[in-house]
Amino acid sequence: MILYIAMILLMILLSPLVLSFIKMLKMFLLYKKPISIFQGYRDFSKLLSKEIIISKETSQITHIAPYLVLSPLLLTLFFLPPVSSGEYYVSFVDAFTITGLISLSTFFLMLLGLDSASSFGGLGSSREAFISALVEPAMILTLFSVSMMANNLGVGQAGLNLSKHFPYEHMASFIFAGISFFILLVAENGRIPVDNPETHLELTMVHEAMILDLSGFYLALIESASSIKFMIFASLFASLFLPFGLDLPVVLAIGVFILKIFFIAFLVAILEVNTAKLRLFKVPNLLGIAIVFSFLSLITFYVLGA
Amino acid sequence: MFVFDNLSILFLFLILLGVVPNLFYSFGYLPHIKRKAYYLIHYFAFITSMAGVVVAGNALLFLFFWELMSLTSWQLILSDIEGKSTIKAARFYFFMTHFGFMFLLLFFLIVTDGDLGISFLEMKSIAANFAYPSILFFFVILGLLSKAGAVPMHVWLPYAHPAAPSPVSALMSGVMLKIAIYGMFRFLFDILGTWQVEWGVLILIMGAISSLIGVLYALSEHDIKALLANHSIENIGIILMGFGMGMIFSSLHLPKLSSFAFVAALFHTFNHMSFKSLLFMGAGSVLHQTGTKNMEKYGGLIKSMPITAFTFLLASISISALPPTNGFLSEWMVFQSLLASSSIDSVTLKLAIPFSIFALALTGGLAIACFVKVFGIEFLGLHRSVNAKHAHEVNGLMKMGMILMSLVVVSLMLFAPFFIKLFDGAIKGLSGTTIYTQIFPNIWSLHSINNNGGVVSPLILLIALIVITAALYLVFRSLNIKQRVFHTWACGYNATPRSQYSATGFAGPIRRFFTWLYDPKEHFEKEVISEHKTKFIDASFSVHVEPLFQRFIYEGAVKLTNKISYFVYRLAHFEQSRYAAMIFNMLLSILFSYRIFVHQFSWATLALESVVMIISVKVLLLGEKR
Repeated sequence: MILYIAMILLMILLSPLVLSFIKMLKMFLLYKKPISIFQGYRDFSKLLSKEIIISKETSQITHIAPYLVLSPLLLTLFFLPPVSSGEYYVSFVDAFTITGLISLSTFFLMLLGLDSASSFGGLGSSREAFISALVEPAMILTLFSVSMMANNLGVGQAGLNLSKHFPYEHMASFIFAGISFFILLVAENGRIPVDNPETHLELTMVHEAMILDLSGFYLALIESASSIKFMIFASLFASLFLPFGLDLPVVLAIGVFILKIFFIAFLVAILEVNTAKLRLFKVPNLLGIAIVFSFLSLITFYVLGA
Repeated sequence: MFVFDNLSILFLFLILLGVVPNLFYSFGYLPHIKRKAYYLIHYFAFITSMAGVVVAGNALLFLFFWELMSLTSWQLILSDIEGKSTIKAARFYFFMTHFGFMFLLLFFLIVTDGDLGISFLEMKSIAANFAYPSILFFFVILGLLSKAGAVPMHVWLPYAHPAAPSPVSALMSGVMLKIAIYGMFRFLFDILGTWQVEWGVLILIMGAISSLIGVLYALSEHDIKALLANHSIENIGIILMGFGMGMIFSSLHLPKLSSFAFVAALFHTFNHMSFKSLLFMGAGSVLHQTGTKNMEKYGGLIKSMPITAFTFLLASISISALPPTNGFLSEWMVFQSLLASSSIDSVTLKLAIPFSIFALALTGGLAIACFVKVFGIEFLGLHRSVNAKHAHEVNGLMKMGMILMSLVVVSLMLFAPFFIKLFDGAIKGLSGTTIYTQIFPNIWSLHSINNNGGVVSPLILLIALIVITAALYLVFRSLNIKQRVFHTWACGYNATPRSQYSATGFAGPIRRFFTWLYDPKEHFEKEVISEHKTKFIDASFSVHVEPLFQRFIYEGAVKLTNKISYFVYRLAHFEQSRYAAMIFNMLLSILFSYRIFVHQFSWATLALESVVMIISVKVLLLGEKR
């Protein structure tokens, strides 16, 4: 139980570091002078000490939504698969609930975009609604097909089962699901082929456009929400698609887990440096690939049993 | 005469839950209705007839109350006539509801053997001896699902619901559609008894297509009530998916799984009643304050109408199936019953089910997009018209209605175990299997019935969300942060109502992605300055989406009927002998088909009768070529 709480705290603490790591790596690869890996923490503490500027046009939603963007994601952290096999974990929560909690957070984020009466906010919300509507079916299908391979619909239990019996006999559908989930990881976290987290240019913005009118504490909440969201996806990928190292001694297991997270962050950084951002109407093609792979994964598992 | 078993009482309870808040709302709305006595008479007759349908114990009473329900709701649509479109909508509704009624009548004439007074139990034995049970099944689904609004019999909904006064739309969408679901349960269990696996697959596929079509057309809609009506199609689709899975499992002899799926369908029936009534009430309040149904004319209403806005937000979250609301719970159950299909052997069935899972998941995603659009454009931002600027909160009775209905939504979430116990009781009365103790071992968590299935605990999710949010808020309070109010930054310009996103713009990317389905008619006009393409004084853009089904099936059917009737007209008009011959041939064909239909079928007699028919038509009707 203590390990469980400690792991959740560790994930919350690590999450800004991971995003800063991606940014640092990208700058390094582009021959820029890299930012410090601790930049995320600095930004956070600075935002906490600043005053909040509320736009005159907004309503109560601006005061409510930032909390409800963050709290479902924090709740999701409690339901993730265990990091080491001795750890306490919530076994029963299934893919639909996890997707639902993430969507709840996105729902309030989109409302936040529409609340400030600026055209940027609406633009971001509209694009986010479009992307997340297509992400949701792929996400549910992928997680369900993995958890069926693991012979348990609960995601936590599925992660553990996969590490014990790696599904060699379902390798085809496992790989399909893995490809699909990686695309979703990129799409849901607004990384480069789908959205560029660094620019503030109206042609490319999705996530940044919705939060343009936030400042201070509320912005800190939203920023930590996006880093925790990356952490959730990365750790789901680590536990479901790289299911090894759970049986090591606890400290080593945690170390392996953190290495896996940074490996995923490394992959994302490499992908970001090597691809250009897609036009908005090309994004469905990418998500279509994710949907098709998740569909294929479920069908191969269902029908062929492979 | 009347039945009062668990199913009837359950649906009486549904009507009660739907009607009591609606009464408050309706009396609050009354000052704005011109023909008050007319409205009230039909309103109460409508409620009575709905209660009558669910307790009717024989065919005659069922048909009587069913027809009374159709006629009173038809008159209620006409109680506030706003021009020709209302009359057209009412006529369309009248036609569709009698289209369904005709099939119900045929169904009952067959299963009662002509004696409309016998009970459902006696009908079951007659139905069991009938040679073609699939025909009975098709009569049932054509009769009932045209009322429930499943694809392809859904076309009347987006016309009829917006035309009715708002309390009536809430009742029609919230309660009346569910009466058709009651009919599905009653007829399939009590009259048809056993069913074939294909029927379940058909219902499942109809459900999957309805849910997708409903949400996609809802997204392209700007008329708020038509949008909600399209969402009714979506939710009926979700209910039918649960129902279809129940039928599939039942015909595969998996009683527990089948009960679980039927409970899911019933739960979603209740949930849809609660949040859809609430949404229609909220839409009615907004419509009443701003005087328009066009979403582009709303905006910023949360400041002037907080109670409407927050109850509407609750219903939006619930209908988007976001945890921990009641809408999420029932969709979760439908998902679980779809996933329980991994134990089925048949490969074709196994292929149909991932498609349904996909349809349900995509529906969920699109519903979120749609309700962000509705809530965001309607209540957030700046007012987009003068009327929206001067809107204020509605009167006490209407507020009372909305608050009561949101209490129903919340109690369906909080007291889910209690409600599921009721549903389980109703299903037990029909199929004899109880699963309550398996899905609710304790009141905290809802278990799936299949092996290694998921678990969801609505109360724990809700409490955890509240605790985490409260903790974050306490952090905020303890930091003692200063606040300052300033304008929205709009690149140096002022943020004006016209610079905001519109509902059309919001749905733009999705509309563009699904162009093949919508086939939108776009009108773009601009007044340019001295022939510069990019510099213009004034521009207008509008999109109109006409439903595909309406264009192909309905208008095609109208054209075909016109052609046939023109042919008949040319053949027999002003020629009495031919006219008589036509009647004779018609009688002959009816007698022959009755014989085939009711008695045993054999190819020899069919061939003989066809020859007789052809000769008779040729000799008597067509005659020699002129």
